[in-house]
Amino acid sequence: MKKIINEPTKVVSELLKGMELAHPELVYTEKLEVIARREKCNKVAVISGGGAGHEPAHAGYVGKGMLDAAISGNVFSSPSPDRIIEGIKQTDAGKGVLMVIKNYSGDIMNFGLAKDLAELEDIEVESVVVRDDVAVPDSTYSTGRRGIAGTVFVHKIAGAKAESGADLQEVKAAAEKAIANIRSMGMAMTPCILPAVGKPGFVLEENEIEIGMGIHGEPGVERTTVKTAKEVAKILLDKILVDYDFSNSEVALLVNGLGGTPLMELYILNKEVQELLAEQNIKVYKTLVGNYMTALDMSGCSITLMKLDDELKELLDAPCNTPGLTIN
Amino acid sequence: MGFQLTSKDYADYIRKTYELIYSKGDYITALDSATGDGDHWTNINMGFEKLVEVAEELEQKSVFEEFMQIGTIMMSVIGGSSGVLYGSAYLAAAKVLKEKESIGNEELCQVLDAMLQAIISRGNAQKGWKTMIDCLAPAVECYQACIAQGLDEKVTADQVKQAAIDGAESTRDMEAVRGRATYQANKGVGHLDPGAVTMSYQIATLMDFVKEHCE
Repeated sequence: MKKIINEPTKVVSELLKGMELAHPELVYTEKLEVIARREKCNKVAVISGGGAGHEPAHAGYVGKGMLDAAISGNVFSSPSPDRIIEGIKQTDAGKGVLMVIKNYSGDIMNFGLAKDLAELEDIEVESVVVRDDVAVPDSTYSTGRRGIAGTVFVHKIAGAKAESGADLQEVKAAAEKAIANIRSMGMAMTPCILPAVGKPGFVLEENEIEIGMGIHGEPGVERTTVKTAKEVAKILLDKILVDYDFSNSEVALLVNGLGGTPLMELYILNKEVQELLAEQNIKVYKTLVGNYMTALDMSGCSITLMKLDDELKELLDAPCNTPGLTIN
Repeated sequence: MGFQLTSKDYADYIRKTYELIYSKGDYITALDSATGDGDHWTNINMGFEKLVEVAEELEQKSVFEEFMQIGTIMMSVIGGSSGVLYGSAYLAAAKVLKEKESIGNEELCQVLDAMLQAIISRGNAQKGWKTMIDCLAPAVECYQACIAQGLDEKVTADQVKQAAIDGAESTRDMEAVRGRATYQANKGVGHLDPGAVTMSYQIATLMDFVKEHCE
């Protein structure tokens, strides 16, 4: 294993400390692994979190216009309720807290318990669950569809709504609307190496790729031989378009890298995806290309579409300023 | 006849359980590696290690506060799914013990039942899914039946212990509904569920402990 780390047991706290040093507007709470906006805002708080290893998610989306705090677990492992409670307490300004959770069993349970504990302390907490992955109905870690890269759009929409001064139920409704209109699908070309394990968790042969693989290396739908960018775009998009009717609509498009794929390849994929969407009469209103929700050093990609209406468009365009996404 | 477990007793029980779980490291890790991530023993052992570290502090508390603290520690130290399930179990059990000074036969049965219900509801899981529920549920059912029949508390302890052990053993022939084993061709059939086995260690130790404390 070649990695720039000190000790595998310290990767999470050291990565978050490094992030705080790079972004002084964020504050890191040691041991509880919470990254929050340094200045508490007088509005509904939006928080999220999950296992580490998906950088810039989740801490990278903390900042004006998106999250108020992100809570990190260990690598690929859900944060425990005591950490989540800390995030809730740090951000609640008396107007309630919305938790954006990805559909993984550990996250659902830990955030669920944190919500119960917060309510005992009279903090109003609501939650939404992202289930955007159309690859498989269930996964190693989830009951029902996994939540993957589309979560970034949910952070953006919920964050913008909260920033506008909306109340907790309105922020939740905006997040739910985004979730209902988002679909994603991914593929992997190489496994990733967990720092604590030191070797790949599974093997893909030199000429193999796996379609529909999750962001922790959980199994997808099929293993197949290496394809061209055009073929990959078609395989992933076809599955998304069969699942949800995006025809004659405007969409936001996210071409996401899993951490080990060069931007060159993501831009090539973007070109192919956009050509296919144009053929289907689907208009791309805004495009994001890059590493937004990664799986350590896994090479591979995912494609996410969010169908837009006037409200979602306005919230998508609202300014945000975070380490992982800036919109002016 | 009968027993009343104090905070000090429960802390002693935790120490005994830690010894047993610690000694079974290689066995549990091998079970888990066959069907899962291989980290179940490491996590649960870490949880009990921490509990033993703070055991003297636990002894000073009421049983309610003791259970609350055990739940909080398990949640944060064990982490992941097991941590939150054990955490929820102990927090739910704590509610049963509110304003109680010690744990008698009926309270202990209620404690185990509260734990079972919390695990079922938090994990959104059922009996027969090859999890720790398959050990805990038969133990609780057996305990409730023993109380209904008015059985002697030592006899009850023996029967509950056996029900837990048989329950863990019953996971061998089950197909996994959750977890990594779900993706294997045989869905883990032929392998014991490591979570059910570590649960059976806890119940067996508890029942032996209860027997020792029967007057």
